[in-house]
Amino acid sequence: MPLDITLFGIQMPTLLPIFVMSAVVQILLDRVMSDAGIYHYVWHPGLFRTAVFVCLFSIPCLLIYR
Amino acid sequence: MQAANILISSLKRFPWQLALRQWLTIDAPVLIYMAKVIIAALLALWIAMTLNMPDPRTAIFTVFIVMHPQSGLVFSKSYYRILGTIAGVGISLVITGMFSQDPVWFIAFFALWIGLTTAAGFKYRNFQFYGFVLAGYTLCIVSLPVIETPLDVFDIAVSRFSEVLIGIMCATLVSDIVFPRRLLDSLIASEQERFRNVLSTLSDPQSVFGTFDDTNPAVSRFSSGVVGLNAVRVNSSFESGSDRKERHYYGHLNHEYMNLSTTYHSLKSIIAAIKEGEKSEVICALERLYDPIASVLKTLPDTLLHPEDLDTVIRKLSEVKKTLEEHFEFDKERLREVMYVEWEDEFTSAGYLIGRLLHELHHHCATYLSLLNHRLSGNSSFELSRTVRFSTHTDNVLVALAALRGIGVLLVTMLFWILTAWPYATLTITMAVVIGLLLGTLPSPLDGVKDFFKGGVVALIIAAVYDFYLIPAYTSDLLTLGILLSPTLALIGWMTTRPKLAIFTFGFVFMFMTQCSLDPYYKIEPTKFLESSLAALIGIVFGGLAYVLVNFWSCSLTQQRVSKILRTQIVRLCNGVLNVERSALESTGRDLVQQFSTQGRLNMRSSRLVFEWLLSTLEIGRSILAIRRSLKRLYARYYPESIDIALESIKEYFEAPSSSGREQLLGTLQESLQVLRVTQMPSEKAQFKRVQSVIVELALIRTVLLNSQTFPVVTEDSCH
Repeated sequence: MPLDITLFGIQMPTLLPIFVMSAVVQILLDRVMSDAGIYHYVWHPGLFRTAVFVCLFSIPCLLIYR
Repeated sequence: MQAANILISSLKRFPWQLALRQWLTIDAPVLIYMAKVIIAALLALWIAMTLNMPDPRTAIFTVFIVMHPQSGLVFSKSYYRILGTIAGVGISLVITGMFSQDPVWFIAFFALWIGLTTAAGFKYRNFQFYGFVLAGYTLCIVSLPVIETPLDVFDIAVSRFSEVLIGIMCATLVSDIVFPRRLLDSLIASEQERFRNVLSTLSDPQSVFGTFDDTNPAVSRFSSGVVGLNAVRVNSSFESGSDRKERHYYGHLNHEYMNLSTTYHSLKSIIAAIKEGEKSEVICALERLYDPIASVLKTLPDTLLHPEDLDTVIRKLSEVKKTLEEHFEFDKERLREVMYVEWEDEFTSAGYLIGRLLHELHHHCATYLSLLNHRLSGNSSFELSRTVRFSTHTDNVLVALAALRGIGVLLVTMLFWILTAWPYATLTITMAVVIGLLLGTLPSPLDGVKDFFKGGVVALIIAAVYDFYLIPAYTSDLLTLGILLSPTLALIGWMTTRPKLAIFTFGFVFMFMTQCSLDPYYKIEPTKFLESSLAALIGIVFGGLAYVLVNFWSCSLTQQRVSKILRTQIVRLCNGVLNVERSALESTGRDLVQQFSTQGRLNMRSSRLVFEWLLSTLEIGRSILAIRRSLKRLYARYYPESIDIALESIKEYFEAPSSSGREQLLGTLQESLQVLRVTQMPSEKAQFKRVQSVIVELALIRTVLLNSQTFPVVTEDSCH
């Protein structure tokens, strides 16, 4: 994958669309997990949520920068 | 394990145990919050500077704007700040791209955008308002500095957006990870307190049958907090581990509470009227009717509520419900023998309201019980059938006034800019627009502007110390800058926890962040500092002037507006659609009154008057809907003509109220009630119930109208 991509004629770092995409996925995942009551079994929901986001964001990032 | 026990027991013996506990509950959260603010702000500063952002102060400023002790508020405000920034940055690109060379069109579209965002903001509540207003003034921040070099607008737009995003991410991350405090927990605490308050108020017959008195806090509290708790519920939805079902319960509880409170206050005012008429037999009969409810509630313990206790109460309440109607009919027959003056309408209405109170209380307890069960075990037997919406109503006059103020401020400061040709006047415009838009929802905006000004001046002094002494003398890198900044950041954090200092802090943060040298490299000059400070202070004065000039809002005008809006509501219910829910009626009314009592400068007495009007409107409106629904399903042969006449005359009266019209309406209502009471009742059970409900509702309308001396014909001026 390239480090920069062009969207609607604007050149931007690929990280930006990845960030937006992982944010969307995170929001959906968060809703599913809170409805399933997973947060009741987690020690620190905020930390868990952040960690999930870090995973979601960094996996595609690692693929780019490999 | 043993060590922990020893620690606890030694803590118990600790002489300052109470003091320690108090410190942990009151002072420690403030200290933690201050630490969180410092961490988030320095993190934002560090990231923004490392990424070589042109203006790192926007990032650190954003942290202070969105930071709150509870993480739900941080998420909610951040969300709307992002949306507002996107809209504002987008429109800046468009307007600067299209009109930067044409001052007339530029200013015209600028003003249009400010007007639109202010108007839209006023239609919404909570942080949505902030999002819209931010979209308005972001245009000032982005497009005004580059008006001479319009090609730079893209850079400044991108950097502004990135800086805001950095600030928001730091604030949300820190507030959700470092000792998070959840909004939902405070919601639970307030709901518990409110529920206990309801039970203790209703368990005392004196609070229903006693005279109205302002000193009893339980009575006056029995209506407050509806709008506020709804806001808390909405904002808590962004928190981690937020439970949608639980929030759903809170929504239902809030609506049931509104219904209960309306019924309670209506019942109380009718009983007061009966007492005034010295009909002690009627009061005795009503007291007998109410006694079983009070005695059931008295069995509940004062301490923490257990689901088992509540379950017993609910069962007992349903038993009372079964016997209430028999008691009512029995008392009615007995009263018929002893009473010679007019009593039947009042007794019917009050008896009906007691029944309704019982029904609503039963429902409220059941919902609360299922919330308790849901929280304890995660499942509940009681399923909520539908979602309830909290509807709002904003008066268009208020909206127009705010938009007018925003546009006026913009145009006047633009004129100032053009006439003086001062390069720093763009800062004046920005400041004036921010003040003119953001402080508009405060109860007293002018005092807010004064506080903001004071905060600004104090911040300027501190910023000057930083700019010309501390930063050049002691900072060599980011670490030393962070260490130097920390005391001030901590001070701001402490000030944000004091509600009295809210606007002062806002002014302080605004000025400190714009004037303190937080650039990637040091570039402060004394003339620039003085000129930009002066420009900002002039902007605050312009913003304040707007509140002085565009302010023809007064107490009596507010009363007239409220009265008119409530009247239109009743007229609309007389001939509008039938599928209006009671929850919508209640929440709209309460939101309206809340808005007018913060914006419309009402004093204590007139606020109470307005609340009475709201109650009358809610009762009459609900009754009209109930009558129309019953009539729709009534067979033609039982359909009395007189009801149509009665409904029509209610509508006419509320369209154009007058004292003679009131007498006429009361006469018409009495006539149709008499006609209904003497006609043969249908033998079929469903039809019988419908006719009976029409009679009860008509009697209720008549009693409410008889009691309300000030609505809809405003007879006295309570503003002086």
